[in-house]
Amino acid sequence: MTQEIQTNIILKSLIAPETAFSDLSQIESGALTVFFRYSLWLIVLPPAFSLIGAANFGWRIGAEEPLMMESQSLLLVSLGYLLILIFGLLSTAFISRWMASTYGASANLGKHIALITMVGEPLAIASIVHLFPDVLVNVLVLIPTMIWSMYLLYKGIPVVLDTPPERGMLMASSLLAWLLVAAVSLLGISMALWTAGVGPLLGV
Amino acid sequence: MQQQSQNTYHDQVVVRLIQFSVFWAVAAMLAGVYLSAELVWPTIDFGQFWLSFGRLRPLHTNGIIFGFGVSALMATAFYSVQRTSHTPLFAPRLAWFCCFAWQLIVLLGGLSLLAGFTTAKEYAELEWPFDIAIAIVWVAFGVVFFGTIANRKIKPIYISNWFYGALIIVIAMLHIVNSMAIPVTIGKSYSLYSGAQDALVQWWYGHNAVGFLLTGGFLGMLYYFLPKHAERPIWSYRLSIVAFWAFVYSYIWAGPHHLHYNSIPEWVQSLGMAMSVILLAPSWATMINGIMTVSTAWEKLRTDPALKFIVLSLAFYGLATFEGPMMSLRSVNVVSHFTDWTIGHVHSGALGWNAMITYGTFYFMVPRLAGRELYSNRLANIHFWLALAGTMLYIMAMWAAGVSQGLLWLSVDQLGELSFGFKDIMASMTPYYLLRLVAGIIFLAGTVLMGYNLFMTLRGQRPVPVQAPAADPAFGVQV
Repeated sequence: MTQEIQTNIILKSLIAPETAFSDLSQIESGALTVFFRYSLWLIVLPPAFSLIGAANFGWRIGAEEPLMMESQSLLLVSLGYLLILIFGLLSTAFISRWMASTYGASANLGKHIALITMVGEPLAIASIVHLFPDVLVNVLVLIPTMIWSMYLLYKGIPVVLDTPPERGMLMASSLLAWLLVAAVSLLGISMALWTAGVGPLLGV
Repeated sequence: MQQQSQNTYHDQVVVRLIQFSVFWAVAAMLAGVYLSAELVWPTIDFGQFWLSFGRLRPLHTNGIIFGFGVSALMATAFYSVQRTSHTPLFAPRLAWFCCFAWQLIVLLGGLSLLAGFTTAKEYAELEWPFDIAIAIVWVAFGVVFFGTIANRKIKPIYISNWFYGALIIVIAMLHIVNSMAIPVTIGKSYSLYSGAQDALVQWWYGHNAVGFLLTGGFLGMLYYFLPKHAERPIWSYRLSIVAFWAFVYSYIWAGPHHLHYNSIPEWVQSLGMAMSVILLAPSWATMINGIMTVSTAWEKLRTDPALKFIVLSLAFYGLATFEGPMMSLRSVNVVSHFTDWTIGHVHSGALGWNAMITYGTFYFMVPRLAGRELYSNRLANIHFWLALAGTMLYIMAMWAAGVSQGLLWLSVDQLGELSFGFKDIMASMTPYYLLRLVAGIIFLAGTVLMGYNLFMTLRGQRPVPVQAPAADPAFGVQV
């Protein structure tokens, strides 16, 4: 029986991810429905937490004094963060759907967006740590969360996209390659923007 | 009978090289773990010169690249060139010479580094007597390899041999040109080049050592062992040939990206940057070729734990070959250079790509050479997760450390003064270095498990004699 996605899946996927994966495998919602009922609520969290944290306390990168940024720069950085997250989610979902035929997986774009959202959800929730903008604390919280997200990626693909676990493992590894590339691109783009004068004041 | 023994592959030398490779992997990674502990607790060198960071660090890099890496490359090149040429090794005694002479160079070279003899050129630290010895052994390696190809019974030269061949020729060229020096004493020489020229030659060598040894050589490994694992041909042979020539052409120009904002001409920096970006195309062509080859062989994952290593190595190969060109962009490099991001980048390649594909290959070769099942699939699976966790933790810790450093080095206040001192910045890195130490221990633990697993698989066994099969008449060399 097919069904529409409900916003309460946010809670379910945190408490019982395997049941949530099974539920997702049944949905037939369109891409926009999934995005507005599920993804959007989560994707605004990291930039919002980061904006509040950085504006009030400034980033502590390890040195004694926090790095304070001008409010205009901060807004620009937060907006960039949101846009990059949206781009990351959608591009990963499209790439996942593009890979689907190779790995015998379902080609429903809504399912791919929902799956990627569910994989990223622990990170979105854990981004509450941005309210305490200390790089080390963020790293200590986000690295274990990222490993949990990776586990969800490997577990979720075969169930949600209806493909054998071995093919799912290959597809997850291919997506991992893309996600690593996306993560490192984020670093590179950030540095290029700082060099161009957007963000912290650097002597370059 | 005589005819039969003449047709038997020489695999004993392959087994010995694998054993040496695993030994150096453990020893050099242990040195790496100790070094990362020194960055957290600087006093654990106990005032001993040979334990200082400056001496132990080249031991770590040389041990990994030349001990672990080159021994693995020699082992896999000797194994695969016989099987792709349908003929035993040419000059097998010379192959044994390569095997033992190389280990002697790594051992004595390592000790000389600990004793403080160094040229101070990164990845080319060994002094002139070792440079001459390396050149001799390397030429002998080439004679065995190309001699075997010349004796081949089938006409086409398989793609893995092109990569191994490029490794041998280009590394010989780089090593000899970069090591040109005027000896002063037995333990000291001065480079033939001076100033900026010396730096350019050094990074022409340094980057192409990464390119043709750590990338090209290991791609030879990939192109032979991945299809063997998957039991199907490479997805697109044509793409592999195109990728080879594009790779060989574009890699050789990329070295100057190590010298951005230095006293070399700006156009040379720009050329290095442009060729580095172009390099992404052949690198990813190979990654896609590998991923597509394995994508049709998914059933093999049920029974073959080693294939997982190769699948994952492709993911990290994709990451490292994207990250490199990106870091070569001047606007990124100005922040990333001299930070720990570079160390993270090197290790996403060395741990994620080089070590993983070597592990996958050893898990494939050793049971076949020993003629029995792998001692423990369970240990191999545990090793897989340890290797993945160690690599991820390592590169993420270094990403975070690198970005922080980049920001802190360059932060200026409203007056244009630097906001933070070097010492304070380094002191604030301790937590990341602690994370990296944990990552290193996890990765090393996996390598030790593999060593034990392979030792138990090989124990008491001699290599199974394998005869060269008759060549298919359609591809056979006409005599």
